[in-house]
Amino acid sequence: MSVQADIERSGGRRGALDPQLTNRRWLRELSGGVRGWLGLAGAAGILAGLCTVVQMGLLAWAIDQLVTSATAPAALWPAFSGLVGVLVLRAVAQWVQERAGAEASLRIRARVRGELLDHLAALGPVRLGDRHSAGLGQQLVEQVEALDGYFARFLPQMRLTTILPPVILAVVASLDWLAALLLLLAAPLIPLFMALVGMGAERLNREQFVAVTRLAGHFLDRVRGVTTLQLFNRTADSINEVHAAADDYRRRSLRTLRLAFLSSAVLEFFASVAIAMVAIYIGFGLLGYIAFGPADALTLFSGLFVLLLAPEFFQPLRTLSQHYHDRAAALGAADGLLELLKEPLPEGHDHGAGTSTEPRDAAEGRGAHIALRGVTIAHPGRGRVLGPIDLEIAPGECVALVGPSGSGKSSLLQLLAGFIDAEDGEVTIDRASFGGADSIAWMDQRAWLIQGTLADNLRLAAPQASDAELWAAIRRAGLGELVDALPLGLATPLGERGYGFSGGQGQRLALARVFLSRAPLVLLDEPTASLDSETQGLVIEGLRELMASGATVVVATHQQALMSMAGRRIELTHQARRREIGHDA
Amino acid sequence: MTPSSEPSLRDDFAPWLRRLGRRRWRLGAGALLMALTVAAGIGLLALSGWFITATAVTGVLLAAGAAATLDVYVPGAGIRLFAVTRTVARYCERLYNHDTVLRVLAELRAGMFSVLTRLDGRTLSQLRASEWLNRLTADIDTLDGLYLRLLAPPLVAALAIGGVGALLACFVPGIALAVMIPLGALWLWLVVGQAWLGMAPARRRVASQDRLRGRVIEQIQGLSELRCYGTLASHRQALIDEQTTLYADQRRLASRQALGNALANLVVGLCVVLALWLAAHAEVAGRISGAVMVMMPLAVLALNEALGGLPQAFTQLGATRAAARRLNELAGRQSALREAEAPFDAPAGTPAVALDAVSVRYPGALALALDALTLRLDPGERLAVLGASGAGKSTLGQLLVRQIDPSAGRITLNGVDLRDMPLSALRARTGYLTQHSELFQASLADNLRLADPDANEAALWRALDVVDLADWAQALPEGLDTWVGESGRQVSGGQARRIALARVLLKEPELVVLDEPFSGLDASTAARIAERLDRWLEGRSVVFLAHADEGLPGTTKAIELIAGRASE
Repeated sequence: MSVQADIERSGGRRGALDPQLTNRRWLRELSGGVRGWLGLAGAAGILAGLCTVVQMGLLAWAIDQLVTSATAPAALWPAFSGLVGVLVLRAVAQWVQERAGAEASLRIRARVRGELLDHLAALGPVRLGDRHSAGLGQQLVEQVEALDGYFARFLPQMRLTTILPPVILAVVASLDWLAALLLLLAAPLIPLFMALVGMGAERLNREQFVAVTRLAGHFLDRVRGVTTLQLFNRTADSINEVHAAADDYRRRSLRTLRLAFLSSAVLEFFASVAIAMVAIYIGFGLLGYIAFGPADALTLFSGLFVLLLAPEFFQPLRTLSQHYHDRAAALGAADGLLELLKEPLPEGHDHGAGTSTEPRDAAEGRGAHIALRGVTIAHPGRGRVLGPIDLEIAPGECVALVGPSGSGKSSLLQLLAGFIDAEDGEVTIDRASFGGADSIAWMDQRAWLIQGTLADNLRLAAPQASDAELWAAIRRAGLGELVDALPLGLATPLGERGYGFSGGQGQRLALARVFLSRAPLVLLDEPTASLDSETQGLVIEGLRELMASGATVVVATHQQALMSMAGRRIELTHQARRREIGHDA
Repeated sequence: MTPSSEPSLRDDFAPWLRRLGRRRWRLGAGALLMALTVAAGIGLLALSGWFITATAVTGVLLAAGAAATLDVYVPGAGIRLFAVTRTVARYCERLYNHDTVLRVLAELRAGMFSVLTRLDGRTLSQLRASEWLNRLTADIDTLDGLYLRLLAPPLVAALAIGGVGALLACFVPGIALAVMIPLGALWLWLVVGQAWLGMAPARRRVASQDRLRGRVIEQIQGLSELRCYGTLASHRQALIDEQTTLYADQRRLASRQALGNALANLVVGLCVVLALWLAAHAEVAGRISGAVMVMMPLAVLALNEALGGLPQAFTQLGATRAAARRLNELAGRQSALREAEAPFDAPAGTPAVALDAVSVRYPGALALALDALTLRLDPGERLAVLGASGAGKSTLGQLLVRQIDPSAGRITLNGVDLRDMPLSALRARTGYLTQHSELFQASLADNLRLADPDANEAALWRALDVVDLADWAQALPEGLDTWVGESGRQVSGGQARRIALARVLLKEPELVVLDEPFSGLDASTAARIAERLDRWLEGRSVVFLAHADEGLPGTTKAIELIAGRASE
C-alpha cells in the first residue's frame, strides 16, 4: 500500500481533532462505539444487585421464621434452596458483568491506539522530532492502557449506581420509612463530597502522568547515555539523580493517593455511620423505646432486612469510588492523548510532497521530476532556514546539495519527502510509476534498524521482495561478504539501534533498502558520513547504477566523492540563503 | 523452558522478600492496620445482627409483659466504635503502606540503575535501551503489588477466616469446623488456583506489552523511512499483531479473574447459608440463643471484604513474577571489568601508552576483533589509527579507556597496566569522543558541564569556540540554555557531534581518543576546527580513529588496521 493511500485512509480523512474537544466528551464519544458491551455489563451488574436484595430478604425472612415463629429449620427448606439458587445466579451475573466490561475496554483501546498511530504517521517525522520517542511510546502503550479501568469498570458501575440504590431505598422505605430517611440523609452528601475530591484528584492525576512521562524520559536518557556517563566519571552523580527523580515521583504519587483515598474514606465514613445509626434505631425500635414514626411496626424480619440492605445501599457507591481513580487516570491519559491528537497536521500531509504530486506516464522516463518556485522553509523557533529558492530537477538527474551545516540541506530534503510544508512558494513533484513502486527512498545519517531479522529489516523497503532480491540488494550495498559469513544469513537477528552492526554496516544496510525499493526518487542525507573510503566507493558505485536505471537522486553531503558523482551541485549558503548552481561533473 | 533450568517461584521472589524484610517493622505495622480494618468490618456486621435479634427477642418479651432487660449501651457504643475504626484504619493503612512501598521502589530504581552503570562496554552494547527503561519503570512498578496485594492481603484474609472460625467455635465448634473447611479451601483456591490459572497469560502479557512498546518506538523513530517507502502499513501490521497477542491474553485473564471473583462471592454466600442452617439446628437444640444464631452467618458474610482483593492479585501473579525474574537477571549481571584489589595510579605526566600483543575476542564471534596488536604512543605524540568500518578501531578506543579488557596481552599507561589503575583515575585522565555522540535531554550548558560540573561560562564558550559553535550558540535565542533534544535531534547531526567534541575538550584530558572527529562536517568547517583543535591538542597524547588521515591535525604517525591486524 502506498503512503498516500495509507494516510488518506486515516489522518487525511479527518485531520486533527477539534481543538475544543474536552477529555470528557472524547471519552463519551468513544464509549458510543461499544454501547452493546457496556449495556450488557451494566445489565448484568444490576441483575447481580437485585439478586443480592432477594438474598438478603430471604435471609431475614428465614431468620425471622426461626426466631420469632420458632419454625423448625427443616420446614424452611424452600427458603434455603431459594437462597442457593439466588447465589448461583448472582455469581453468573457478576462474571458476565466483569467479562463484558473488559471486552468493551479492549475494543476501545485497540481503536484509540489505531487512531493515534494514524495521526503520528500523518504528522510525520519532522514534527515529531522534538518529542522523546520513549515518551511517545509510553503514551501509545501505557496511557492507552490507562483507559482500561474507565471503560471496563467505571462506566458499567456508574450505570449500576444510578439504578440499584434507588431500588434498595424503595425496598427499605416500604419496610420502614424512617430508616430509609436515615439512609437518604447520608446519601446526597456523598456524591457532593466525592465530586469535590474527584476534581482535585483529576488534576493531580494529570500532573502524575506528566511525572511518569518525565521519569521515563529521564531514565531512557541516562540509560542511552550510560557509556558517556562512565567515560566522564559521572556515574555516582547520575545514580543520585535517578534516586532523586524516583523519590520525586513518590512524592507526587502520594499527593494523588492522599486525595484518592480520602474520597473513599469519606464515603466509607458516611456508610459506616449510617449503618450504625440504622442498627441502633432498629434495635431501640424493636425494644419499643422509640414512640414515634413507624418504629413500633418493626419486626425482626423488617429490621434485619433493613440492616442487611443498608451496606448494599452504599456498596455501588463505594465500588464506584474505588473506580474513581480509574476515571481520573483515564481523564489524565485522555488529556495527554488528546493533546497529541489535536496537534494540527501539515496542510499537504496527504501528498507525498508540498502541494502536488502527479503520476506520469512511465514512457516519459522513470525518475521523478521536481520543480520548486520561490519556495521558502521555516521551522518554528528557528525562523526561516531556506529560500526563497527556484529549482528544477529533471527525471534521472543526480543533484548534490552542498553547503555548511545548518544551511538548510536537510530541510530541503524533508520538504521533498513531504515531511514538512513550504512556508511559501510552489512545489511540484511528478513521480513515474517505477517497476510498480511509486515510493521515495530515504536514507539519513542514522542507521535505523528494527528488532527482527536482517530480512525483516530489508523488507521494510519492499515487503514483497524475494530472498533473491534481498541478496542482490545486499551485494550492491557492499554487504555481501559480511552476510555470507553470518551463519544465519538473512535470518540473523538485529537489535535496536543496530547493535551488533557497526555504524558503517548499518548504513550500508540502509543503502541496501534503497536498492530494494526501486523508488523513482531517492533522497539521501549525508549517506556516507560514517563510511570509510572503500565502502564509500561501493556506495557511489551503487548510486551510479541507481541513476542509470533512471531514478532521480538528491543527496545532501559534505564529501567530495559524492559531490563529484552528482551531475549538478547546488550550493546552499548560510547567510544569504541564495542558491548558486555550479556544474561540477 | 525446561523445568530444571527455570527458576522456581521461590527463586524469583526470594531477593525481593529479603529486601522487604529490611523494612519488616513498617510492613508489619501496615499489615496490622489492614487486619484492624477487616476485624472492625466483621465486628460491625456481626454485632449489629446480634443486637437487632437480641432487641427483637427482648421486645417481644416486654410486649408480652415479661420482665426482661437488655444492656443497649455497650453494644450501641461497640457498633459506633467499629464503624469509626474501620474508616480511620483503612485510610491510614492505605496511605502508610503506599508510602512504604514507594520508598522501596525508589531505592530499587536507583539500585538497578547503579547495576547498569557498572557494566562494561560489551555487555552494555548487547542490551536494548527500551528494555532497560522498562526494567526501571514498569517492572519495578509491578513489584509494588508484592506486598500490597500478594503478601499482606492473603495473610489478613487467613487471619480473618481464623478469627471468624474462633468466634463461632466459642459457641458451637461443629459449626466453626463446617464453615472453616470450605472457606479454607476457597482461600487456597484464590491464592494457589487463581495464580495457576493466570500464570501463563499474565507472564506473556508483560512480554508482549514490552514488544508492543518496542514496535511503537521503532515506528516513531523510523517514520522517515516508513513513510517514504510507503511501508508504514506493513510495519503497522507487525505492531497490530503484537497488540492482538497482548489482548488475547488480557481477555483470558479477565475471564479467569472474573471467575475468581464470582467464586469468592458464591462460596462465602453458601457458607452464610450453611452457618445459618447449622446454627438454626443448634438453637432448636438449645445450645445457643437466637441472637447468637443470627450473629454467626453475619460474621461469615463480612468475610467477603477480606477476600475481595485476592482473585485479582493472584490471577496477575505471573506478571509480578515475570517482572521479578527479569529484574533478578539484571541485578545478576556482572561487569567483565574487575577493579584491581590494590589499585595504584600511573605516574603523572603526559601519558605514554603501550599495547603489548593485545588481542580481543568477542563472545560468539568467529574472528578476533584485534589480533596481537602491538604499538607505542610516546608522550605528546599523535597517532592516527586508520581502517575500514569493522577493522577494530572502536575496539581499540574502548580498550584505551578500559570499557573493555583485552582477552590477551596488556596495555600500559606510563608503565602501569590499565587493570592495576583505579578505573576512575584512568577515566579522569582520558577523553574519548565515541562514534555515537550521546547528548542528554538538558540544556546545552548542562550537556557541556557533564565534563566539568564547575566550569564557568567562559570555559564553556572557549570549548564551543574550538568546535566553531560559539557564533551559532550566541545566535540562539536562549544561548547556552537552549534545550538539546533526544539524541541531539533538535540540533543537526554535525552540530551534535561538535557539541560532543566540545564536551571532551572541556574535560582537559591528558590522553585524547577521537573517533572520526570530523564525520558529518563540511570541508571548510572541518578545516577550521582542525586548526583550533591542533593548538588545543598541544602537550596531550592523542589517538585518532578514522578511515582516512586527511584533515587530522598534526598526526605524527599512522597505522592501518585491517581485520584487527596492524600494517604500517
